Amino acid sequence: MKILVPVKRVVDYNVKVRVKTDGTGVETAGVKMSMNPFDEIAVEEAIRLKEKGIATEIVAVSLGVAQCAETLRTALAMGADRGILVETDVDLQPLAVAKLLAAIVAQEHPGLVILGKQAIDDDMSATGQMLAALLGWPQGTFASKVAIEGETISVTREVDGGLETVALKLPAIVTTDLRLNEPRYASLPNIMKARKKPIATMKPADLGVDPAPRLVVVSVAEPAKRKAGVKVGSVAELVAKLRTEAKVI
Amino acid sequence: MPSELAEEHRMLADMVAKFVDRELMPLEKSVLAREAAGQKYGLTPEEEAPLLAKCRELGLWALDVPEELGGANLPTVALMAINEELGRTVVPFTFPPDSPNLHMLLAVASPEQREKYLKPYAEGRATSCIAISEPGAGGDPAGMTTRAVADGSDWVINGRKIWVSRVPQADFVIVMARTGDGKRHDGISAFIVERGTKGFIIEREIAMIGGRRTYELVFEDCRVPASQVLGQLGRGFAPMQLRLTVRRLQMGAWCLGIARRALEMLCEQARNRVTFGARLADRQAIQWWVAEAATQIHACRLMVMDAAAKHDAGVDVRTEASMIKVFATEMAGSVTDHAMQTFGAMGMTKELPLQLLAQQVRVMRVYEGPSEVHRMAIARRYLNDRK
Repeated sequence: MKILVPVKRVVDYNVKVRVKTDGTGVETAGVKMSMNPFDEIAVEEAIRLKEKGIATEIVAVSLGVAQCAETLRTALAMGADRGILVETDVDLQPLAVAKLLAAIVAQEHPGLVILGKQAIDDDMSATGQMLAALLGWPQGTFASKVAIEGETISVTREVDGGLETVALKLPAIVTTDLRLNEPRYASLPNIMKARKKPIATMKPADLGVDPAPRLVVVSVAEPAKRKAGVKVGSVAELVAKLRTEAKVI
Repeated sequence: MPSELAEEHRMLADMVAKFVDRELMPLEKSVLAREAAGQKYGLTPEEEAPLLAKCRELGLWALDVPEELGGANLPTVALMAINEELGRTVVPFTFPPDSPNLHMLLAVASPEQREKYLKPYAEGRATSCIAISEPGAGGDPAGMTTRAVADGSDWVINGRKIWVSRVPQADFVIVMARTGDGKRHDGISAFIVERGTKGFIIEREIAMIGGRRTYELVFEDCRVPASQVLGQLGRGFAPMQLRLTVRRLQMGAWCLGIARRALEMLCEQARNRVTFGARLADRQAIQWWVAEAATQIHACRLMVMDAAAKHDAGVDVRTEASMIKVFATEMAGSVTDHAMQTFGAMGMTKELPLQLLAQQVRVMRVYEGPSEVHRMAIARRYLNDRK
C-alpha cells in the first residue's frame, strides 16, 4: 500500500510569531521555517506502517513556495521514499490545498493519506476533512492510535470527553493528533541518503487546479496584551469586585 | 546556525540542536548539582550509556574521521555548526570518539602507527592525549626542555610536562620533546608513549576552574623504540600546529554556542525581571549588552565559518585561527559576564549554568595559546608583511 503524506512549511514552533507591521499577515522574512509538527507525526506514522510491512511506499507532498523542497527533504531524511513539490507563490487556503491533494491522489492512487490535524500557522484544521469530502473517502481525524487490519483501518480519535474509535474502510484519510507518536530524528546516514531521493516538481495548472484564494484576509492583529492582575485583601473584597467591577456574579 | 551551509549540513545541525535540547539539556540540572556538591563534573555511566546508544543510532559517530577509517568525513563547516550547538550546554558530552589528535595522526602516522594507534583511536576504542606545555614553557616552545636522546635504536625521554588533559583514560600520550639543537621550533619531535611505559609517571592531578582537571607528567629515562617517533624527526612542530588550528576553530564554535545560551538566558531574565517599576529589558544598559552580544555572535560566526570554508579548501588558516581564538573567547567571556550580571545574585549561584560556562570560557583564553601570544602572532604576520 502506498501512503501519501502532505507536509507543510510553517514558522518553526520555537519562533515567537510576529504580525507584519502593515497587518496583512505574519512575518516570515528571515524567520526559521520547519515542517509543521503535526505533519512530522504523520510522516512518522507512515514510516512505522512501512516498518511493519503494511506500507510499501511513502510519498511526501508539499505545496507552496520553492523552499518547500527543504520540508520535503526533511520528510525524505526521516524515511519517506520520494517527494512531490507543487510550486506556487499563491497564498494557499485549505480548499485549494485539498483540491490539489485530490488531484495528486487521482494520479498516485494511495491507499491512505495521513495529514497533520492542523498546521500551527493558521490553525485551520480543515484540509483533511475537505480532502475526504472531495474524494468521498472516510475520515478518521485527530488520531491518537492507528491500526490497520486487512482493508480496514481503526482510528482512535481524541474527542471532547475521551476517546472514540472508528473503523474505516480503506482508502481513507487520517489526521494526526499530538499523542499519536513521537517523531524520530533524521539520522546522519538518512540525511545523506535523502539527497539522492527524487523530488518531482509541478505547478497547480499541471494538476488542473486553480489555487486562487476564496477568502480575503481583512487584517491580522496581535492578541490584546493581558492586563496586570490585582491582589485582593479578603474574600469580601473579591466578591465585591466580582460583582461591581467584573460584573460576573 | 549559518544559512550558507549546504542543505544536508543544515539538516544535520538541526538534528544536533534537537539532540542537545531533548537529550542533553534535561541532564544539566543534575550535572550542575553534582559539581556544586564537589563531586565529579561529568555524566554518570547510567546517563552516558543511553546517549552513546542514541549517537550510534543517529550516526553521530566519528564525524571528522575519513571514510576509509569508517567515519562520516564531514567538512569543517558542518563540524563547526555541530560544535556550536554542543556549546550551548554545560553537560560535558562530545560526539564520540573525542579525537583532538586525529588530524595530527592522520598527517604523519606511519603505516604501522596508523594500524596500531590511529585506527582504534578513530573508531573510539582508544583514547589519547598530548603533552606540550612544561612548567617553564607554555605558549613559547623555545623554552621546551624535555629531551629525547638516541640510544642505539631506542629513544630515551627525560623531562616534565604539565596541563595535560584526559590523562587517566588515555591509552597513549603524544609527547613533544627536543631531539636536536634548534633554538625554537627546530629539533622538536613527537613521540607516541603508551600508558604503562616504564619511566612515564603521572605526577599529580591539578583541579582547574570550570570543573576540569589536568595532569602533570614526569618522564624519567622513559625508553621507547624508534618506531614510536611520530612523523619526521625534528619536524614535530608543524603537525602539532595542524592539530591546534582545527582545535582553535572548534573553540570558536563552542564559544558561539556558549554566548548564544548566555544571551538567551540574559534576554529571558531581562523580559521578566522588574526593578524600580520597569523591566530590565527597558533599560538601555541591558539593551546595549544585548545588541553588542548579538552583533559579536554574528561576527564571530562569520569568522568561524569563513575560516572553516577556507580550511576545507586546503588554505592555511593559522592567522584566522588566532583571530578566532582571541575574538571568540573574549566575546563569550563578556556575554557570559553580562548574563551573570543581569541575573544579579542568582547569577552568582551554582544553580545556573552561567558560572560554569563563564569559567570554561575563562580557561579557553589560556589553553591552546593565550590571547596575548595569538595577538603577537597576528601582529607579527601583518608587521612583517611588507619589505
